[in-house]
Amino acid sequence: MTDDEIRKEQEIIERSKKDVKAFGEIYEKYFDRIFNFIYRQTGDEDIAGDLSSQTFINVLNNLPRYEFRGFAFSAWLYKIASNEVRKHYRKSKTKQVFSIEELKVRELVEQADDGWDEETVQRLLNYMNDLPTDMLQVLELRFFEDKDFKEIAFILEMTESGAKMRTYRALDKLRQNFNLKIRYNG
Amino acid sequence: MGKHEIRLRRQRMTARGADRFRNFGAVMERHEQEMRIKKIIRVFTLFAVILILVMLIIIVMRVEKKQGQKKSSVTTFALVKNHREPFLYKTDLH
Repeated sequence: MTDDEIRKEQEIIERSKKDVKAFGEIYEKYFDRIFNFIYRQTGDEDIAGDLSSQTFINVLNNLPRYEFRGFAFSAWLYKIASNEVRKHYRKSKTKQVFSIEELKVRELVEQADDGWDEETVQRLLNYMNDLPTDMLQVLELRFFEDKDFKEIAFILEMTESGAKMRTYRALDKLRQNFNLKIRYNG
Repeated sequence: MGKHEIRLRRQRMTARGADRFRNFGAVMERHEQEMRIKKIIRVFTLFAVILILVMLIIIVMRVEKKQGQKKSSVTTFALVKNHREPFLYKTDLH
């Protein structure tokens, strides 16, 4: 997002603080992204729909308190969405689901020597199952949502260095265990 | 078993799935409803706080009044006692 885009978005937010109807533009812009973000963490369309709506209601309720902190408004949206997901799992007491698109994994992982087969996919899934949940959350935001570490730190309420460390550790293990080239250079 | 479950999706995510839930009107309505409830709760809390304060003031005033009454009766008793003692002392001398 360019500085000009961030500034324009900020103008809409300021307008929305006075007239909530102006927020419609932001809602239309981000609804799909927030829905997909929640869907990836729940694997259920109905739950994702409910949590997305709740996210935007919370955003509207707290909009007067929003202050620009140097990054895009979407970071705040993701933070609220992430809290909604956390609240959902705390209430339902079920295992957190990470529903990942195979295509996205293929984009991330570039084959080195071996071919991409079912066994590798299964091994990769097992490996990801063993990763700590917070590490998966960081990976998801970094690779599927294209967030930078500063934003990830803000969304997941951790330090920037903590977010970086989690990513590098996960990727290092991935490189070692799967003999794969990863299209990622930090 | 870990704390999470990884599911691999073969199909790509489309906007159609999200469209079913996209409804800014409903979100606005819920927001206004929640704001109304928040306002009612705020007014009710303010009223409750004022009521508690008034009750506390009344209780404190009553306690002070009672203590004042007790003090004045003790003082009267002391005055009467102090007045009689010299008189009795004098009669004893004779």
